[in-house]
Amino acid sequence: MSFDAEKEISRLWGNLHNAQDEIGRTWHRWRQAALEIAGSNAKSLDVSLKAAEITGKEIGKSFLPRLNWLRGEEVWMMSLANGYAGQWIAQGGVVKVEKGQKPFEVFVKWERCPWPTFAKEYGVSMEEDVLCCDRILQTVLVNINVFFNVNYKIETLKAIPRGQGVCLRRLYKA
Amino acid sequence: MAKLLFEWNYSSYPGAKKYPHLFKPIQIGNLIIPNRIKYAATEDNLNSRDGFVTDADVAYIRERAKGVVGGICTMQGVYMDKNRQGQGYVGQAAAWDDKFVPGLKRLADAIHDERAVAGYQLMHCGRVGAVEVQYCQGPSAVPQRLRIFRPVQEMTKEDIKQCVKEHVDAARRGLEAGFDIIEISGIVGYLLSNFISSYSNRRTDEYGGDIRERMRVVVEIIQEVKKICGKDVPLGIRLCAEELLDDVRGNTSEESMMSYKIAEEAGIDYISVTAGWQESIVPVISRDVPMGSWIHLAKRAKEHVNVPIQMAYRLFRPDLPNKAIGDGHLDMWEMCRPMIADPLMPKKVLEGREEDIRHCVACNLCLARLFRDAPMTCYINPVCAHESDPRYANPEPPEEKKKVMIVGAGPAGLECAYMAARRGHEVLVYEKRTDLGGTILEASKAPYGDDELLTCIRYQSAQCEKAGVTFHMGTEVTEALIKEELPDCVVLATGPIYSKGKGAGFDRENVVDVLDVLRGKAKVGEKVVVWGNRKPGIGVALHLAKQGKKVTIVGKDKSAGFDVNPSFKWRYMIYLRQNGVMAYNDCEIEEIKEGEVLVRSYDGYRWPVRCDTVVVTEREANNSLKDVIQREGIELFVIGDALVPRNLSSAVHDGYRIGIRI
Repeated sequence: MSFDAEKEISRLWGNLHNAQDEIGRTWHRWRQAALEIAGSNAKSLDVSLKAAEITGKEIGKSFLPRLNWLRGEEVWMMSLANGYAGQWIAQGGVVKVEKGQKPFEVFVKWERCPWPTFAKEYGVSMEEDVLCCDRILQTVLVNINVFFNVNYKIETLKAIPRGQGVCLRRLYKA
Repeated sequence: MAKLLFEWNYSSYPGAKKYPHLFKPIQIGNLIIPNRIKYAATEDNLNSRDGFVTDADVAYIRERAKGVVGGICTMQGVYMDKNRQGQGYVGQAAAWDDKFVPGLKRLADAIHDERAVAGYQLMHCGRVGAVEVQYCQGPSAVPQRLRIFRPVQEMTKEDIKQCVKEHVDAARRGLEAGFDIIEISGIVGYLLSNFISSYSNRRTDEYGGDIRERMRVVVEIIQEVKKICGKDVPLGIRLCAEELLDDVRGNTSEESMMSYKIAEEAGIDYISVTAGWQESIVPVISRDVPMGSWIHLAKRAKEHVNVPIQMAYRLFRPDLPNKAIGDGHLDMWEMCRPMIADPLMPKKVLEGREEDIRHCVACNLCLARLFRDAPMTCYINPVCAHESDPRYANPEPPEEKKKVMIVGAGPAGLECAYMAARRGHEVLVYEKRTDLGGTILEASKAPYGDDELLTCIRYQSAQCEKAGVTFHMGTEVTEALIKEELPDCVVLATGPIYSKGKGAGFDRENVVDVLDVLRGKAKVGEKVVVWGNRKPGIGVALHLAKQGKKVTIVGKDKSAGFDVNPSFKWRYMIYLRQNGVMAYNDCEIEEIKEGEVLVRSYDGYRWPVRCDTVVVTEREANNSLKDVIQREGIELFVIGDALVPRNLSSAVHDGYRIGIRI
């Protein structure tokens, strides 16, 4: 049976990118719907941050079955950081995880991220885009910290929408 | 009795003998125009954001007025409403208040200073408007096809009445400013064309329905403006002869011709023929459309109406309109882009200096800039929009005459050479090849009109010859040669280096250079991968696809044609599809193997692409000789692709800027 690998893979690649685009657009369509329902008194940033919070908590819950303490805290922490990265890679980002110099510190670096492009397309401010990402990343930790009885935090050091070239976040044990 | 504003006698000029139909008078309304040449209204985004005319725009229009040698020079269309929904361009001139009259008068005076006929255009931009506000206006709220334009609000009858009044008031201001001709714009997606078109006019009141009803507002405007124009000031209109909107059920050709008849019945004195809308998907004015392609529309218009017919649209060479006028298919030759590229084009035609014409290459960069709120610029004419800046327009001779060595006779080197020589430097151009033109010689072999790029080289060669530039062809510049010549200044215009990718296998025999492919020197198999998705990659891909080869482009940029302006890029995307060229953008070649290459996407996925030959089109800066020159303490400039690989425009602009600076 003949098999054209180029055709198969490139079609799959095309479909993946279309699906990734739909993820971004769906977020903004829902945002628009929420704002219309909320009325003119609602602040768009408040609405978006609420959505980000719900999203973050949901992502955090989905991490729980996959995080495993058996191989020690450092491995657990790297696995958490890779979970963050994987989430954005699935959406079309190029994200790398690097261990920090201090113990229980890891850096997650977004070299490319599709979200600022979607924000621009839908007329959303770049700062709202950064703050929403921050809120998602932080609220991911809410359930994880309680579940594993730890206190991890994540902070933003650089952000693409702020014109800093990459998004750089530090995940650390507080 | 018809009125002649300025006497012109062309009889002693060679151009008038060569193109007799272009330089004979014509009567429009009660006005005699000495020739058949018109600079058609063109937005330039040079005015202030609140619509006041600037020095830059006056200087811009003065140059074009000089160019029409007694013909009509039309200023850009003015918007007429205080709420700015009619404004389609950030730097568009306004005429919604008497406070704008002094600025408009400056334009009319500048045109009259050059003894040309001053044209004034009324242009409500309709569904292309509202550049500074949230909603634009139209007869019906038909959604926009292009994201770049604002959502449309349907006009009420009161809005329509107000719009008619605004046309009349703005026309009065034009007359007060001293303009000789008034023109109404009803084309390409602007308001009146929105009313005329069955695509954008879905109204059920008296302003919608059949073509007569859709023309109602146009007729009202013509009749009301005509009243204030009187007998002495002709009133013209620009109307689409073909909307090219069949895919969205726009007007038929018959309806368009009917609109011409109705305009004539309403009292119009001339019609300017156009084709296409900004929303149409048919190419009209880019260089992939052969010159003279639209003359049949003027001919058709002549068959339907008796008023004079004017037309622009790919009439870039004087022989085309000269013949069309002689054949009775056209009455006046309009120009926009040819006179953006060379404001003095018709003057040079008249004076028999056609070799001095800097020809437009129909790239539409000018339009792309306007739609992106940037001031007008020209791909090929570095002085465009800098007419008011003497450093650009009339550079001074240098304080010290220098011996300037220019390495490379491509567009950057040649542009620099003649400008530097014109200012008084001794200029020596060294070129290792035997022909002038650099990589444009190869680039011009790409299909879809790229042969027109050579006009730039012809112009530059002629200017170099006139400026006394010395050429050393077939001479490669070496360290020894530089030390022997000991110039005061060296300009490196050597073009780029074609760079192989980081992947394995780029040293294989089946990896060839784009220039060798276009020269016909490289052996190219049936399955080709082109490495690089910018213009050189697209050009060679189409060149090879036209030979029946299966071509795949692999490139690092997120989209193919990143370096091509958006007003032209969409054409290439269509041609790539039509010719079966697959483009993998945002990708690298990871490995070149026997019979295939391995492509790797930015997100890490890999797949094989069958391939016999890889054509390298990726470029990088060329730093050869730089160290030698700097070591010798010689003044050094690096220009064009040798500095940063870009395009013909950057080469020309770099060359000019350094040519006026040395």
